[in-house]
Amino acid sequence: MTSLTMIARVTDGLPLAASVQEDEKSGRDLQHYQSQAKQLCRKLDAQSPERCTLEAGDMSFHYLIAQDVCYLFLCEASFAKRSAFAYLEDLRGEFNGRYGRRVAAVTRPYSFIEFDTYIQKTKKSFVDRRAPRNFGSINTELQDVQRIMVANIEEVLQRGESLSALDTKASNLTSLSKKYRSDAKYLNTRSTYAKVAAVSVFLITLIIYVRFWWL
Amino acid sequence: MSAPGFTHLNSSVSYGQNPTPNGCQNGPGQTYQSMHPPAGCYGAPPQQQNYPTIPALPTSVPNKAPATNSAHGANYYWSNQQQHHHHHQQQHHLSQHHVAPSPYNASLSSDAPSQPYATVPSSAPPPSNAHYNQQPLQQHPPYAPSGRYYGPQAYHAPPAPPPPEQQQQQPSLVPAPAVGPGAPIHPIVSYPSAPGSSQFGTLSSFQNAAAHGVMPTQMGAPLHQYSNPRPASTAAVGQPGPTVNGQGSTGHKHYDQSHQASLSYDPYGGVLHGGGGADRPPSGTPSNSVHSSPGHHQGGDTSSSSTGSASPVPNNYDNLEGGSYPDSMPPSDHMTNQAAPYGSYGYPGMPPAYHQGPASLANASPSHEPYGQSGYQPYSQPFPSMSQLSTALGGLSGVPELEVEALRPVNLLQEKNLLPPRALEAPEPNLSPELRKVNCSPQSFRCTLTSIPQTQALLNKARLPLGLLLHPFRDLQQLPVITSNTIVRCRSCRTYINPFVTFLDQRRWKCNLCYRVNDVPDEFMYNPVTRSYGEPHKRPEVQNATVEFIASSDYMLRPPQPAAYLFVLDVSHNAVEAGYLKYFSELLIDNLDKLPGDTRTRVGFLTFDNTIHFYNLQEGLSQPQMLVVSDIDDIFIPSHDSLMVNLKESRELVKDLLTSLPGMFSHSKETHSALGPALQAAFKLMSPTGGRVTVFQTQLPTLGAGSLQSREDPNQRSSTKGVQHLGPATDFYKKLALDCSGQQIGVDLFLLSSQYSDLASLSCISKYSAGSVFYYPSFHHTHNPAQLEKFQRDVERYLTRKIGFEAVMRIRCTKGLSIHTFHGNFFVRSTDLLSLANVNPDSAFAVQMSIEDSLADSSLACFQAALLYTSSKGKRRIRVHTLCLPVVSQLSDVYAGADVQAITCLLADMAIDRSLTSSLSDARDALTNAAVYLLSAYKSNVSNLQQSGLVLPASMRLFPVYILALLKQKALRTGTSTRLDERVFAMCEFKTQPLQQLMRMVHPDLYRLDDMSDQGALLLNHTLVPQPHLLHLSAERVRRDGAFLMDCGNVFYLWIGKSCSDVFIRDVLGCSSYASIPENMRHIPELETVLSERVRAFLDWLQDKRSFCSSVHVLKDEASAKAPFFQRLVEDRSEAASSYPDFLEHLQQQMP
Repeated sequence: MTSLTMIARVTDGLPLAASVQEDEKSGRDLQHYQSQAKQLCRKLDAQSPERCTLEAGDMSFHYLIAQDVCYLFLCEASFAKRSAFAYLEDLRGEFNGRYGRRVAAVTRPYSFIEFDTYIQKTKKSFVDRRAPRNFGSINTELQDVQRIMVANIEEVLQRGESLSALDTKASNLTSLSKKYRSDAKYLNTRSTYAKVAAVSVFLITLIIYVRFWWL
Repeated sequence: MSAPGFTHLNSSVSYGQNPTPNGCQNGPGQTYQSMHPPAGCYGAPPQQQNYPTIPALPTSVPNKAPATNSAHGANYYWSNQQQHHHHHQQQHHLSQHHVAPSPYNASLSSDAPSQPYATVPSSAPPPSNAHYNQQPLQQHPPYAPSGRYYGPQAYHAPPAPPPPEQQQQQPSLVPAPAVGPGAPIHPIVSYPSAPGSSQFGTLSSFQNAAAHGVMPTQMGAPLHQYSNPRPASTAAVGQPGPTVNGQGSTGHKHYDQSHQASLSYDPYGGVLHGGGGADRPPSGTPSNSVHSSPGHHQGGDTSSSSTGSASPVPNNYDNLEGGSYPDSMPPSDHMTNQAAPYGSYGYPGMPPAYHQGPASLANASPSHEPYGQSGYQPYSQPFPSMSQLSTALGGLSGVPELEVEALRPVNLLQEKNLLPPRALEAPEPNLSPELRKVNCSPQSFRCTLTSIPQTQALLNKARLPLGLLLHPFRDLQQLPVITSNTIVRCRSCRTYINPFVTFLDQRRWKCNLCYRVNDVPDEFMYNPVTRSYGEPHKRPEVQNATVEFIASSDYMLRPPQPAAYLFVLDVSHNAVEAGYLKYFSELLIDNLDKLPGDTRTRVGFLTFDNTIHFYNLQEGLSQPQMLVVSDIDDIFIPSHDSLMVNLKESRELVKDLLTSLPGMFSHSKETHSALGPALQAAFKLMSPTGGRVTVFQTQLPTLGAGSLQSREDPNQRSSTKGVQHLGPATDFYKKLALDCSGQQIGVDLFLLSSQYSDLASLSCISKYSAGSVFYYPSFHHTHNPAQLEKFQRDVERYLTRKIGFEAVMRIRCTKGLSIHTFHGNFFVRSTDLLSLANVNPDSAFAVQMSIEDSLADSSLACFQAALLYTSSKGKRRIRVHTLCLPVVSQLSDVYAGADVQAITCLLADMAIDRSLTSSLSDARDALTNAAVYLLSAYKSNVSNLQQSGLVLPASMRLFPVYILALLKQKALRTGTSTRLDERVFAMCEFKTQPLQQLMRMVHPDLYRLDDMSDQGALLLNHTLVPQPHLLHLSAERVRRDGAFLMDCGNVFYLWIGKSCSDVFIRDVLGCSSYASIPENMRHIPELETVLSERVRAFLDWLQDKRSFCSSVHVLKDEASAKAPFFQRLVEDRSEAASSYPDFLEHLQQQMP
């Protein structure tokens, strides 16, 4: 099964650990998803929902945020959501215990890449249906997964972009309206001049007429 | 390009022919430029001028291909005016498949599928030489990328071959200026399996010419070819496609700005830097890791000053390392520059004073003195008025006395003692003291000419090759490691900030490679070493020429891979006979903890004879499980996650397996070897992660894909006629190696074979996947203890040495210089990006350069090599070396700065290429001619001494000795019985060994040990290390009553003369007399005598400087034993080669 697990710091999206499993049979290009995952981690912030599932075609991103660390799991959309979040919970517990205190201080990406070993093992136990632990863990984690928000990955990734697009449009509007205003002023003055000119021509004609023909 | 088929004259492109013109040019494929006829070499300009006058013959198709090799051929023929050669040429074009360097290939090479992570077919970065863009041919749309480098191509040869005129017509389409410095070198990649038949019209014709006796004296053109260096980057230009980083569009503009800026010299930069050298932070600590203020955590996105901000996630390695050049360089700029070298071709005779030799040098430039005193700021940027002055004087600003010594004319026929007393050091570049202090160590980065000639014309005149020798991943004692959110790089050429940039003011710095002015980011203002603010010029990046950056996640396409090692072991009958398995297993068990890696390290094992055996080492098993796959035609992996296992978790199982492995096959009768399928299995097993595959092979592969036949005729071993089969017999190994390289798998080959095993074919698996090759001829665990010992030492070093994974390297140089040929083991991904699946500290690289544009407007030339790799601990790091050299305008300065060792090594690389693409005798002639041409060039241009005889500047005085030594090497010798495999292995070593090691192999150091004195000895760690004098490699220096040590790089020979003093024998060897010295003595006993201590201290000191442990062989003065010693006395006559005096005489006869 193709999957991708990534753990990142929420404050700046710095990746802390990751594990990639490619399935040569499916031949899916994980590279695309990896870059999406990276972007997603950068987009997330303290205001993001704590648990969320994002759909990306026939794959789904499940993520969980706890103690400023985001746990992200990419798997096939058919994979049970409940198992996915139980798996993330498991990772959270272990990761927090091992590295929780050092998370804020690190600057190097993938500082805790050695966590990969644990991720792989845990994932195997969750993915493998026959593993006895699987049922037990799911049963204990009786959380209401229905309430977990579902969104589309594209929307999330493009949320920022649409805002900035809106911003540029607004500023465009501002500058356009300014231009309109100045144009209008200019036109006004011009028409005023035209009127004044017309009136004065008429008056001069009148004066000349009166001066030469009436007298 | 309206008629693609037509341009690709005869090229039905198939994989082996390297459709990427620059893509896979290592190995034999790279030598185009070396294959020009002599006419095109040194004496080029007059003939070149014919070039534009060639009438554009009518063609039916608008042919806009870049001047291809055929263009070159045309040039050649034209100059010879021999119509019948057209015929030959055409024949050659027909018989060989080659790919014209058309932009089709550009699209091919740029999205070469070897890029596993790339999702976006990104446009390859345009080459650094910009004038390419001028050519009309770049305008057509990219050909639909077929996606596989060896995939079927949509275009095929036209049914009817075009008339030769067609080929002639091409040059006329090239803008005339391009003919000068930028004329074609043709990135046509020759197909190595046909060594005799050259891809190159020129060469084949050249051979014809020789055969016809037309130009007998020009046989063997010099290896370096100056006149027509079109950069190999031809192809990747082209479509102004989307640069992923989105910087392309701005490139042009910035560029222009930088040029304007270069006119406005800001003295502040110089002032700012005046004291730079003096205030260097103490850097004695190994790795002073620098962390910048943690307050800058906005990192991530903002650091995109280093990768471009349009797309936060780079999509392939090109962009990772940041090769994204702006798409358009200002053509106008180049138009003017291009013509310059040509105009200056006639280089109006030097001022007479310069002909006076060294004595008059100081007088020749009286203004030199004030210059030196005026506190010349090395950081000052070239601006027009200053440039003339500085270039004229730059070469002399350093230490004149050194220079004078380097230029002292040496008459080779009279002076007999040419060797310096101590091992030859690299010449110091003639720079100001501050720059010299920060310059890159010559061991990491070395240039053949430490004074760069200003123009190509000057370089041609000097008749020396221009190139760089790199040893980028060398084990270093001290290396500043920088952790920073922002890696400061030039926005247009992506150069990393380095000690040779100029700070215009606090907020701006000027790139020393492209002269663009960049902003200094905020973070860079803080200096973490001194904890001060506002001193960007004191940051460690600007204080050290070799630094290592911890890369941000922008430099990663995927999470850093774990260290992964797969061992592929031959267990056929032959292997069991040789008995290596036991020793290998023992060594691996002993070194299991020393394998570089962390807790993620993965290992796997795979054995093969006529079937492939996998080993399940999954944690929790009680013992290893063997899985046998006998279907070698369609290999599959029996289990997915249990074959490559975590070393830490499955440690006991791995040990179990290694302990039982030697016994498991001890009764094997299977003589066949399915190496090809085993390699395919290894590839499948490793492709998810990448890593290192280590192959042990003991015989010719006989089964399945990649099986080979014996090609060596033992009777031809000593033939002088020419050596056949230096190239691979099949492209299977190369294809597989390219696949491996794409998946970040490096393959290292240990060949332990007593029989011919076709190393020429097998070595391709390592050559193109950036691996290394080890060869142990006639290895046997009991019959050949010397080889066994060497094997053990090598394997131990091999297992424990540093390793870098998923690496790429890019070499950048100052605008005007361009790199056209690479030597070493790697895969050239896009024009100048070397893809190294693995990088190890023992392999070196070499590149050849040409001068595209005149360097007259700068006084310094800089070179930067950046190596991006993942360490075995999963850290992504960038190691950056920057070398700075002066630019000179006088020929004498060029000679004064010549680095004879570097030149020899580069020539050796070029000779290897030549012997693969052309023939061995051709390569040998070319080497001889290199010496002849240098001698005559020096005679006619610099030395005005009317003495007859052979005169060279002192800096080059050893050149003929080295050339002679090269000619006597296994790789290049003829007439002496040499096994084909040994010859091929020697060639591989030439290509990959670092300079010091290679020089010791070519020209061993000879010392006399029995009369060492403490005079001049070094005191290291309370041990006195004596420094005996170097001796010439001639039997007349070797005396019966002495003991001599020969240091051959990978082995020491201690030769004891028959009448050597008993004191030495007793005190050093612990034997009572000469007669009691045992036959196969391989170590120096640790005796408590002064003499023994001295000898051991000296040996240890020599040993310290190399990575692989060399063994000591004690040889007695007996006919049976002394052969290896006397064979290496290269100045003596041997059975098939002349002595040094004879060689000099030969050179003198050859001189015009």
